[in-house]
Amino acid sequence: MIDALFNQPNYVATKKMLDVAVLRQEAIASNLSNLETPNYKRVDVAPSFEAQLSQAVKSGDPTQIATLEPRLAVDASAISGRSDGNTVSLEDELLKMNQNTFEDAMETQLISGSLAKMRLAITGH
Amino acid sequence: MINLLTGINSTSAALDAERTRMDVISQNIANVNTTHGPDGKPYQRQQVVFETVLRAQQNSDLSAQEVHVARIEKDSRPPRMIYMPGHPDANDKGMVATPDINIHQEMADLIASSRTYEANLAVAKNARSMAMSALSIGKH
Repeated sequence: MIDALFNQPNYVATKKMLDVAVLRQEAIASNLSNLETPNYKRVDVAPSFEAQLSQAVKSGDPTQIATLEPRLAVDASAISGRSDGNTVSLEDELLKMNQNTFEDAMETQLISGSLAKMRLAITGH
Repeated sequence: MINLLTGINSTSAALDAERTRMDVISQNIANVNTTHGPDGKPYQRQQVVFETVLRAQQNSDLSAQEVHVARIEKDSRPPRMIYMPGHPDANDKGMVATPDINIHQEMADLIASSRTYEANLAVAKNARSMAMSALSIGKH
């Protein structure tokens, strides 16, 4: 019964996006840690995930959103500007990390907000 | 153990690797004029070789990767011969073999290494702030 409260598509999608933010932080940690490794190719959350998520959100089915699994993939769009074949750029990576932290903060606030609204609906204060 | 700080394993591996690299660079700079090592030969420049290591992760074809120091290699460049008769390590022609170390190259490497170190510290800081915001879910 109470499950229905936590099954709204928006809430489930935000939770999924939070998972993505955590996974992307892991990818960025991996990229920055291999900043000086020859032939390392930068990784990121697989670009197909975004399309899958937007499709699942359009369908409005929470179980379809919940079963999505974000994965890491080698970033094929990254071009190496260096002679050692490494595709990581320090500035890009730090910018992406900052952006990711903001996304993470926004998503935690959204989740906190929906929980607060739920509490308001139950207790009235 | 639950992992609150995401990617912290990669970050700590990188900090460790960069620290080793800085140690080796400082050793090179310190020995720029060493003509007589424990083996009786002039000091040979050393450099670290990094390699990526895959970290096992469940339900994923590709996981975050760590960096490790694969090995510390000796530079095979021949020593630089300098004319210094009277030097205890001079040969019969008065030439002394000194390490072929370019101090500018070492300094550039040192700066690159410390920038990488700083970037990884920034990741650790960010992971921490993300963990803190996750812990505050539901508070008001």
